[in-house]
Amino acid sequence: MPSEMITLQLGQCGNQIGFEFWKQLCIEHGISPEGILEEFASAGSDRKDVFFYQADDDHYIPRAVLLDLEPRVIHTIMNSPYAKLYNPENVYLSKHGGGAGNNWASGFAQGEKLNEEVFDIINREADGSDNLEGFVLCHSIAGGTGSGMGSYILEHLSDRFPKKLVQTYSVFPNLDEISDVVVQPYNSLLTLKRLTESADCVMVLDNTALNRIASDRLHIQNPSFAQINTLVSTIMSASTATLRYPSYMNNDLISLVAPLIPTPRLHFLMTGYTPLSADHDVNAAPKIRKTTVLDVMQRLLQPKNMMVSLSPDRANQHCYISILNIIQGEVDPSQVHKSLQRIRERKLASFIPWGPASIQVALSRRSPHVTAEHKVSGLLLANHTNISSLFDRCLQQFDKLRKREAFLEVFRKEPMFHESLEEFDASRGVVDDLVHEYRAAATPDYVHWNPVSFKLIIASHRSRYQYNDLLCNVSTLWSTQSQCMH
Amino acid sequence: MIYDALLMLWDCSRNAKVSQPEPLSYANEGDSIVLGRIYEIAKSHHEIQNFTLGTGFHSRKSQTSAGHRSNGLYGQALSEGISEVLESYKKTLKEVESLIIGNQNYTLAFVYSYVEKFQGLFHTLNKIISTIKERRLSGCQILSLVHQCILSGDKMVHEAILKIFTCINNVFINQLCTWLLYGDLRDPYEEFFIYKTKKNDVSDTFLSTPSSSNTCDKSLVSTLQQTPLDCGYNINPNMIPYYIPLSLAQEILFIGKTVILFGFDPKKVKKHSSLTNRSMLTLQKMNADSRRFTIWEEKEAEFHEKLQKLKTPEYFEVCNLRSVVREIKECVTKHLWAVAVEEAQLIHELHLMKDFYLLGRGELFLELLRLTAPMLDKATTRTSTRDMNHAFQLAARAVFLSNSVDVEKFSFELPYVKPNISANSTIEDGSSTVADGWSTIILKYDFKWPLHLLFAPEVLARYNDMFRLLLRIKKTQHDLHALWKTYKQSTRFSMCQLHNKLMFLMDNLQHYLQADVLETNFSRLMEAVNKTNDFEKLKKAHATFLADILSQSFLTVTSCNDSDSGDTLDSINNPVFCNIMELLKLCDSFCSISDFAENKEAEDYYIRGYSDKFNKLVKQLMQLLVSLRDRPCGVYLARLLMRLDYNRWLSGEAQLTQSVTNMLRY
Repeated sequence: MPSEMITLQLGQCGNQIGFEFWKQLCIEHGISPEGILEEFASAGSDRKDVFFYQADDDHYIPRAVLLDLEPRVIHTIMNSPYAKLYNPENVYLSKHGGGAGNNWASGFAQGEKLNEEVFDIINREADGSDNLEGFVLCHSIAGGTGSGMGSYILEHLSDRFPKKLVQTYSVFPNLDEISDVVVQPYNSLLTLKRLTESADCVMVLDNTALNRIASDRLHIQNPSFAQINTLVSTIMSASTATLRYPSYMNNDLISLVAPLIPTPRLHFLMTGYTPLSADHDVNAAPKIRKTTVLDVMQRLLQPKNMMVSLSPDRANQHCYISILNIIQGEVDPSQVHKSLQRIRERKLASFIPWGPASIQVALSRRSPHVTAEHKVSGLLLANHTNISSLFDRCLQQFDKLRKREAFLEVFRKEPMFHESLEEFDASRGVVDDLVHEYRAAATPDYVHWNPVSFKLIIASHRSRYQYNDLLCNVSTLWSTQSQCMH
Repeated sequence: MIYDALLMLWDCSRNAKVSQPEPLSYANEGDSIVLGRIYEIAKSHHEIQNFTLGTGFHSRKSQTSAGHRSNGLYGQALSEGISEVLESYKKTLKEVESLIIGNQNYTLAFVYSYVEKFQGLFHTLNKIISTIKERRLSGCQILSLVHQCILSGDKMVHEAILKIFTCINNVFINQLCTWLLYGDLRDPYEEFFIYKTKKNDVSDTFLSTPSSSNTCDKSLVSTLQQTPLDCGYNINPNMIPYYIPLSLAQEILFIGKTVILFGFDPKKVKKHSSLTNRSMLTLQKMNADSRRFTIWEEKEAEFHEKLQKLKTPEYFEVCNLRSVVREIKECVTKHLWAVAVEEAQLIHELHLMKDFYLLGRGELFLELLRLTAPMLDKATTRTSTRDMNHAFQLAARAVFLSNSVDVEKFSFELPYVKPNISANSTIEDGSSTVADGWSTIILKYDFKWPLHLLFAPEVLARYNDMFRLLLRIKKTQHDLHALWKTYKQSTRFSMCQLHNKLMFLMDNLQHYLQADVLETNFSRLMEAVNKTNDFEKLKKAHATFLADILSQSFLTVTSCNDSDSGDTLDSINNPVFCNIMELLKLCDSFCSISDFAENKEAEDYYIRGYSDKFNKLVKQLMQLLVSLRDRPCGVYLARLLMRLDYNRWLSGEAQLTQSVTNMLRY
């Protein structure tokens, strides 16, 4: 059973998208909500073992770990028809059930406290697989549990499993509307630092763009969470299609990720999917009738189909670092070359000037159990320098709050920020560096820009170490305090 | 006097020679000349008579013991025909005799006037006979010769020859009929234009031995197509009647061979195949009743009748023969198609070929590589084959394929060659004379019965060429991917960049091979297979498919203009392929070196070395495009380079002119 993936679902958002993901996988593989393989799916040549394993009675169990600090979402899952699907030992709810109060620091601290129990589950799950390839972390970067506890787990996953890949599906908050989480900019920035330093590959799921797509492309006035999550699960299932439906290439996660990420820190990937169809009212949505490989590939390059909202950046000429298209459906393979040719001639995509880059196209089968409306559908995974604009917006929002010193007291309550708010500045530095690196990557000088970034990395490392020392001090302090209390 | 003449004409004397009559006293002046003329006729009749006696049916018994080859069935038929024709001559003689007996006054000229008309006929017959004797013609050649003489202005000669031809043709049609309908060659004297080869030593090696014949694509297609069906029968081009074109003869051969094939009981063949190299010689040992003639169903009688109809001379035309043969062939190929596609599940088998030989099951080979890469890196040992197959089973089990019967059809072989020279144990690159597993590994395939028509040893050898290349690339790609995480944590940008370049190259090379070459051509093949229900077309489509993927993967042996014609013997010398192999070697050595790059200076040194070499090779590849642009191979190189140079970075790096970049538009 090679290249297994363990999915970690963290917090409210993470568990919701994870739930949708598993629902989608079950449908695609013909597995009933109870985990029993349906009669019609028994002869499939798909690989269920990447994401599922079989119990003694042959029913399929997802390699998923569900973690949350408050019980609401997990209770909903446990009351759904899919309750029996999961391994109950892998569902972890904090005992007090109070949640993290949308506070990153609280989530992080609780992650530290629950460290052993959480990693017991993860270790057990990892031991149960033959040749574990990596972890998939589903979370949002804005809340408390997914961002804070997620950050803690990210940092420690790379320590405990240095050889394993860590991929995250990170939901970025909707910046168009006023959030009910006021400290969201703080949470985002603190999480972004961990995503930059500890994750191998981050799939950016931008709520702003997802909402825009739902309203503009699918004509849903007030998209519900469920509808947005369907979009997410479509992307998640399509991006793992080559792993689950084996074909000639891209049979493991590394072969998907490695060509996309040529430099260590520029590992934030955008996604795009076409054609999209809403299931609420098929007739209302404008139907895309003609789907050929070229059409799909061209549409995928249009910004409006991108699931990340990018603000135009006039100062910099942004470009693709790499592109991978996963095309599903009835495809005439000879069209792939022609489409690539056309896109190259028309210069529909501009690429980095400092290294080789291309559009890679992986053809994948579709699930035979799902009736597709369109002949061809495609998923785009792209590494684009303009993703820096998203981080830039996070920085701006952060700066707005930070300047006013707003809402800092909730953080100060937590031990990590008792003494100083240096962690904020360190994280800001890291994200700022990231923005600059992305901008530099759009220029031919990126190769020479390196020494600067090198210094910066060293600097950030140094600050990280200092912070670690600090953290140690703080935690010892905190433990002595608690001992005193006892 | 007259009686002398009559006797002479009757050819009563069985002597070897008719003696020239003495000029006696004649009743009339001109009698001696007339007698002389009569003598000429008698002489030619005598010669004909001699021939018929020598080759005719009655003489056979006496001559078979002597082992004469000259008079086979065709010769016999000829003499039968001749004696039939001579009947009218004899009838005329009788008539003359009775007239002479009735009236003593008839002169010699009267007799001559009766027999004169036979002169032309006898002349033609004698010409035929002497040609046969001179050229030692036999069998179908006689048929051919007689057919040539049919057209004659003399009506009597025309009819007579037609009669003779009919006789011979009967023999021919009968042979044809048994051959076409039952695959039975009833030809004791080797007279038919199809003969049984004495021995076919088709070596059953799967190893690639690129024969010099496949120099260009077209001939490659034909060699791939022709190699199968070599089942011990062949065409003797000398024997083909001139009015039957070679193509028709080949069709006839094909039908017979196919019918023979159907005669095999698949299970019996399997038993034999392991013992006797799948030679078709076992056929004769088989019991005739065990053959199942289900091919024809109710059509057998119809075809038989049609063939028999060809015996009538008015009907015998090449176009008619052709149409009957075509009809039969269609029936045969359809049946063959049914057997191959429906019973042997050809389409499924083709998918298997793609899944295994062409690494369609990526995950299986990924797992296999994980298990066996260290073993294949080393030179093969005696136990390698066993280890490899064991690993293959493990890998299949790991991806849940073990329970499928398809996996059992495949097995590996690593031919163990004793190292002839003392192994140069230095790790330096360049001394790659020791054959490692990558270059020698053979994937074997145990296919169902009639599919050897498609998957002949030569074909499998080509598939193995393809397999080795793909496996090698996959392994290199896998190794490079494994290093990704390491370099991601390192801070050395230049090292990262180099690794990235190599990885990019491997990824795109594989994308090119798998998508542009294999997928595209395979979908074309499937389209062709689904469209036709003619096995011949199917075979052709498969041969085209294989030839195309080989040439597009640069695995063909190109005849390099004229410069190095010396050593094109045992390696694929396509310059593009050589370049790709160099790049693969570069990647491999990069992967191995990265383990012990300890200090910064050494690292810098390595990086520079590898970068230089990489740039050189890529530049070379681009320049090859210029020199190959006129050849078909150039088009595919352009396709590969289009992928590699998608953002025009490589061409910029190699400082190539704009013209080369423009050439990528194919």
